[in-house]
Amino acid sequence: MISIKNLHASIDGKEILKGINLEVKAGEVHAIMGPNGSGKSTLSSVLAGNEDYEITEGSVDFLGEDLLEFSTEERARMGIFLAFQYPIEIPGVSNMNFLRTAINETRESRGEESIAAKEFLAMVKEKSALVELDQSLLKRYVNEGFSGGEKKRNEIFQMAMLEPKLAILDETDSGLDIDALKIVSHGVNTLKNKDNATVVITHYQRLLDYIVPDFVHVLYKGKIVKSGTKELALELEEKGYDWIKEEVNA
Amino acid sequence: MSSTLTTNKTQDFVSNIAENKLSLWNELTAIRESGLKALSHLEFPTTRDEYWKYSRTTKITKNEYQFKPIPTPSINLSQVRIAGLDTYEIVMVNGFFNEELSSLPKNDVLEIKSFEECTTEELTSYFSKNLDTISNFFSALNTAYFSEGIMIIAKGVSDKPVHLIQYSEGDKVISQPRNLFVTQKNAELSIIKSSMNHNTFNFFYNSVNEFFIGENSHLHYYNLQNYNQGIQVISTNVATQEKNSTFSAYNYTLNGDWIRNNTNVFVKGEHCESNLYGAYQPKEKQHIDNHTIIDHIMPNCESNEHYKGTVTDKATGVFNGKVFVRKDAQKINAFQSNNNILLSNDATMNSKPELEIYADDVKCSHGSTSGQLDEEAVFYLQSRGLSKDSATALLIGAFLGEVVEKIRIPELKEKVLEMYGME
Ligand SMILES: Nc1ncnc2c1ncn2[C@@H]1O[C@H](COP(=O)(O)OP(=O)(O)O)[C@@H](O)[C@H]1O
Ligand SMILES: [Mg+2]
Repeated sequence: MISIKNLHASIDGKEILKGINLEVKAGEVHAIMGPNGSGKSTLSSVLAGNEDYEITEGSVDFLGEDLLEFSTEERARMGIFLAFQYPIEIPGVSNMNFLRTAINETRESRGEESIAAKEFLAMVKEKSALVELDQSLLKRYVNEGFSGGEKKRNEIFQMAMLEPKLAILDETDSGLDIDALKIVSHGVNTLKNKDNATVVITHYQRLLDYIVPDFVHVLYKGKIVKSGTKELALELEEKGYDWIKEEVNA
Repeated sequence: MSSTLTTNKTQDFVSNIAENKLSLWNELTAIRESGLKALSHLEFPTTRDEYWKYSRTTKITKNEYQFKPIPTPSINLSQVRIAGLDTYEIVMVNGFFNEELSSLPKNDVLEIKSFEECTTEELTSYFSKNLDTISNFFSALNTAYFSEGIMIIAKGVSDKPVHLIQYSEGDKVISQPRNLFVTQKNAELSIIKSSMNHNTFNFFYNSVNEFFIGENSHLHYYNLQNYNQGIQVISTNVATQEKNSTFSAYNYTLNGDWIRNNTNVFVKGEHCESNLYGAYQPKEKQHIDNHTIIDHIMPNCESNEHYKGTVTDKATGVFNGKVFVRKDAQKINAFQSNNNILLSNDATMNSKPELEIYADDVKCSHGSTSGQLDEEAVFYLQSRGLSKDSATALLIGAFLGEVVEKIRIPELKEKVLEMYGME
């Protein structure tokens, strides 16, 4: 589905990603872990097309296309979805209104008809129930006055509405209590199928009890320094990152 | 430049206009003469005048203008009508009242008539009672040479809003409508003003509306400015409020080459509410200037002022809001803010909120912001599949929407949202 090769990216002349290699296939779940500041959010921003970052080297192939050639909205329409680590509030823009525009512009770009009001509302009902997001919140402005947990659930709700091919969840678990974590994981697992893929970025092994990864990678200082299966996550939980840092810095 | 020279220029400008025969010359000689007298020692404002610091009037003052009545114009009013909203209609063409095109009320609550039909007493008790014709050149010009005017007297709660349509057409034409709007005790009225212009070239529109808001009466004035090219606009609205009254002025500017709005409110009674809202979005080389004054003379009143704008391309926006709280005006709540988004590097916004407080027991705040569009929000929306243009439009809509939401007539709100491309 996506193949990242030797990806280098900088911001304000400072190199953050220093040669990322990652291959994700349809139907797979990959977890990316790593200490704070190692470049996990940078990687997701770069994949989503944030122009603040400059790509200095490397390539990203997504479904046979050169992903880096496309704008943020084109990437979204191709099927990339990023659940933000810190979803922002957008006062004055209603959740429903912008989602409907998003869906319709995506459909239009594919030469499809725009979504009927009834179909849209039915979909909203179904998908908000999936993440137990109160429908009244959706009539409000994007994330305005939402609690931390509601913001995260809103991200997964949007993911459910947009039905992406590749979902990147950037620390969607942080700030969630165990119940919310279960709800969010249930949502993600329900949306999973053989044709899509999920990259979960997390700090804690805890999430991986609920969203079980096929592969676990450790990102450190802008590189993937270790890859393994879900046992690697358990090992990290137990031993921390120091042994990895030592290996890398040695 | 010597002042004699400037004065000669002013005299030329004025005497050129004065050659036109205007109605009510005799009936209102005294009043017109007060304007004339003021003009004789006023000069064109320049950017050295604080009041005109950011707005050059040379585009206006370099021209020679004529009045131009058009007795039977062909106007398609459906362009400005508001879907689903029944209103009375007053149509003025180049500053002259057109009774044929108007549809006026036939009831005891609302009286609408041209100045011709007013008694001298009616006119003299209101005309120019509000206005500073001494120091303001363009108000003095209107006072001396107003083309025609309408008087609206609301005696109770009006069943429908009044839609005032100002139509402009012609080359080097001056239009100087002068209107008096009176709400008597306990009356309620909404006035919607729409603008239309067609084939205008160097057209100068200089209107003055005076509002007299009587005790416990409520008036809402909606000014929709959506001009085609070729017209320079100075729109002056002055209101006095008596006790327990509400005056709200909503100013929505969508398009216009060069616009200067003066909105001045004198709150002369206790327990009044005054609201001034505005949205503007100058683009290309447009110049939109809003000057406001709220003068709290009496205690226990509240005023809310909120102007918001986006400035694009090489356009300029100006906001100057003065709030005075006089010595005896205790227990005043006065809020004022002006927020701007600059959408290009060549866009200019001059914003100056001013607060002058001479009372000690008051709650006042004012503030001004000018910034860029929130790039993070644009990225968020794009990451969901919205084009950059849609994302920008949504965010601008959200930004300006706050002051459009203030509109109290749902059908009108719909129309204005649509005009701004929000919905
Ligand atoms: N706008 C920025 N300017 C400069 N440095 C940045 C910027 N954003 C992030 N960084 C730096 O990039 C590094 C990686 O950050 P980030 O991708 O957020 O890490 P993670 O998500 O793994 O915690 C950090 O050292 C951070 O300080
Ligand atoms: Mg991060």
